[in-house]
Amino acid sequence: MSASQPQGTSARNLAGGSQAGFGTAPGSPPPGAAQPKPTERPHPLTPFVRGWLVFVAIAIGWIRELVTSAGENQFQADGLIWILPVLAIVVLFAGIAGFISWYFTRFVIDDEELRIDTGAIFKKSTKIPFERLQSVDLVQPLAARIFGLAELRLDAGNSTTKLRYLTRSKASRFRDYLLARAHGHQASIRDLDQQAVASVFTDLGVADQALVQITPQRLIVSFLLSTEWLIPTAISITILVSTVAFGVLPLALGALIPLVIGMLSLIWRRVIGMFNFTLAESPRGLRITRGLTNLTSQSLPINRVQGVKTSQPLLWKPLGWYRVDIDILGYAQGDGEDNESTSSSVLLPVASSEEVELAFARVLPGFDLDGIELHSSPKRTRWLRWFDFWTLRYGWDDRTLITEQGWFTHVRDVVPHAKTQSVRIEQGPLQRLFRLADVHVHTPRGPVNAVAHQLDDHIARELALSQLDQARAARAAEREHVAIAALAVDDHEGEAQLLGSFGTGRDQILGSGGESEVFAIDHQRVLRLYRGRHEAPRRTAAQLGSLYDSWRGADIGIELPMITEMGEYNGRFYTVDRRFSGQNLSGWLRHAQASQRRPALISFLDATERLQHLPSPVAGFARLIGDGAPDQFGTLGELLTKMLWGPLQMSRTQLERDVPGVSEVWNRLHADLALRSVAPTFVHGDVCPPNAYLSEGVEGPVITGIGDFSSHTLNADPLMDLAGAVIFLELEPYADAPDDAAWLEAVVAERHGRDVVHWIDVYRRYYGFYFSNTYEFEPNVYAWCLRQMSR
Amino acid sequence: MRILTSLIVPPIIFTIPAVIVGVSSGKWWISGLIWAVAIVIVIIRLAFVTRSWRSWGYVEREDDLYITHGVMFRSLIAVPYGRMQLVEVESGPLERAFGLASVTLKTASPETGARIPGLAPEEATRLRDRLTELGEAHASGL
Repeated sequence: MSASQPQGTSARNLAGGSQAGFGTAPGSPPPGAAQPKPTERPHPLTPFVRGWLVFVAIAIGWIRELVTSAGENQFQADGLIWILPVLAIVVLFAGIAGFISWYFTRFVIDDEELRIDTGAIFKKSTKIPFERLQSVDLVQPLAARIFGLAELRLDAGNSTTKLRYLTRSKASRFRDYLLARAHGHQASIRDLDQQAVASVFTDLGVADQALVQITPQRLIVSFLLSTEWLIPTAISITILVSTVAFGVLPLALGALIPLVIGMLSLIWRRVIGMFNFTLAESPRGLRITRGLTNLTSQSLPINRVQGVKTSQPLLWKPLGWYRVDIDILGYAQGDGEDNESTSSSVLLPVASSEEVELAFARVLPGFDLDGIELHSSPKRTRWLRWFDFWTLRYGWDDRTLITEQGWFTHVRDVVPHAKTQSVRIEQGPLQRLFRLADVHVHTPRGPVNAVAHQLDDHIARELALSQLDQARAARAAEREHVAIAALAVDDHEGEAQLLGSFGTGRDQILGSGGESEVFAIDHQRVLRLYRGRHEAPRRTAAQLGSLYDSWRGADIGIELPMITEMGEYNGRFYTVDRRFSGQNLSGWLRHAQASQRRPALISFLDATERLQHLPSPVAGFARLIGDGAPDQFGTLGELLTKMLWGPLQMSRTQLERDVPGVSEVWNRLHADLALRSVAPTFVHGDVCPPNAYLSEGVEGPVITGIGDFSSHTLNADPLMDLAGAVIFLELEPYADAPDDAAWLEAVVAERHGRDVVHWIDVYRRYYGFYFSNTYEFEPNVYAWCLRQMSR
Repeated sequence: MRILTSLIVPPIIFTIPAVIVGVSSGKWWISGLIWAVAIVIVIIRLAFVTRSWRSWGYVEREDDLYITHGVMFRSLIAVPYGRMQLVEVESGPLERAFGLASVTLKTASPETGARIPGLAPEEATRLRDRLTELGEAHASGL
């Protein structure tokens, strides 16, 4: 399969030549060969399998011809003779077309790229970046299944690319490999070669674990009891009986035939298509396998689930069965349960409530749906919705919205706030009379359609408006969660053991940041657990430890952190720190009276001013914590440029897009910093309310401690901390924070002279750049950064 | 809170077919009748148009855009800036004749259907630019 013909070269040109120089795959041709890497053709049986479909179509047409002409025997032979050469020609053409299409299809799936070249006359080269793959599905139509072949469907963005046909073992190996790469794992295709092959009937591999398997009996019974089946059946029986009774059956055929065809297609989709339905957990997420004739194996990208719908037809109620559908982003183009397409939105065609719960736990992990109290619509609804007013219910918590409605088919929609697109309140004239309104929560296209019907109009308003705030908060939380999850090693068991050995647990968490999480041990101590298994946490902790030790004799009137113990457990690095007395300033500010806040902020400023008197281990401008620290710099400008280098590596392209003239801002910052002449002192680098601790003194609230020294810690301009204390206050989530910050800035100006205001602005820009790498996971901080730069 | 404007569905559109039917039919009493009906419709329409025109409104809030409309069937739709995928400014021939344009917001949900009709073209472009800018600042994944 390494024949090199002209189309190989031109396809390579189309692909942009980006693979030039990557001739590293095993068995690559010697240098100078026309092709830098071997491409493969699909399985040689492909044209036959594809031709089979044509053949089946023709056969069906022919049989129909036979049946209709069965009454007129004398024409049957003529029909046969006439049709044979046509059949032969069509089959021949289909065969040739299939062969050509197969011959010119080549693909590469290796460690570097995924590329499919097709087309005899019009060349087309599709190259899909691994990260863009959303799902990889395996489909086996009957004919392909007979020959042990399978089709690979690659979903990326809005387009689906098909690769057909490959041998089943190869296809499933490619699938596993591509899914691994899509999840960002650095797998190599050769590692997967030795894997055991999955079962032919369910496509369950050795590493897969079936969560829910639906037996044929249950599928069939549930189908026979479903509303969609019973209604057409009842109608056709009625028509049949009445027409037969009146002897006018032929007249009714026009209505009966489409009905019957509809019923057959329903059987096809609901029974044949869902046969052997298995929801399984594989190492690469959830996977659904189903189908009697056509076997479809579909992977479910959990992070793309937009909503879940549970429905229960009336007759399923005594059996306690439910059907579960999900909205998956980008899965809506086709019909929800189209048998041919893999894009099915069915999560479970029929399931008991335990199985539904199990599935919910996988699809919406961490959601407490039972904890949500459902409210009924007000009594007066019965005048408007006399037919189902008692079924209308709704409820929400800070993560999800649930709506219920319908008695004929009871439907329950669950939408996580983070997935809400927009919200609409609607009120018709009658509803206005009864002071009722509907709230529609819009999700991307799919079966889920969450509408809270007939709420009291005040509640509707509250729901709609709070829904958006919650959606925003939930999105922010989710992003943070994703960012943290990316940092953390998924090692919950070891972590729980470690926490347990200190008599603490997840519920004792005091705070979390980018580098570590802090748990309460007792009134004197906290456990700081660093994220990740790298060398960095150990180094940071050691550097902090010696820094804290050097402060032993120094008393600046506030509590400073102290490390009493450090160690490593199961690869995770931790320290035991002294616990600060009092409470966190950030939390306190949120609930404090305005009259209390300002004295506390003055005290905060006093404490910040004292920080510069801390002894520093080195002289001159220096970075105190981090790789290679302490490293010293000749000027303030050099030090701060070095500090900004790391964050800017990450955020540069983003900033170039978001800040017009960012290079001008950057140059201005440097010009300003060059003019600053100051003696270096100790700088905390991140003095903000979450890092300060407050106690109630005799004369009101007093800041008694400042903690969380970190890689931000420097030997630099003492004004940096004062500026930080002012400008980070703007980030506090209470209403008057901007006013308080402006006021605090005025206090600083009063204490240190008017020209301080200019330097605070310079440091605004500095911190704006410094924290700009938050754009991925903390949009509010990033927005704040953008504001700082525009000043 | 800035409420801006619009929707002036030109009432003329209702009289034009009446005139055509009247002229072509030749029976002038029918034409007169249609005229009368058309005028009644126009009057009713006018009354309603003013009311429904007044009912359209939008507010640019800090994080989302609210659009309200409807006299009999009232609705209020709220679209977070971060969810907007597309902002379109449209102006049909009729709208152009009256110097109007409409702005449509698209999200990933087909049900959103947030449209503000009958804006002055400058306001429409301003709104589009503003919304796009806000959308980028608030942008979030799905």
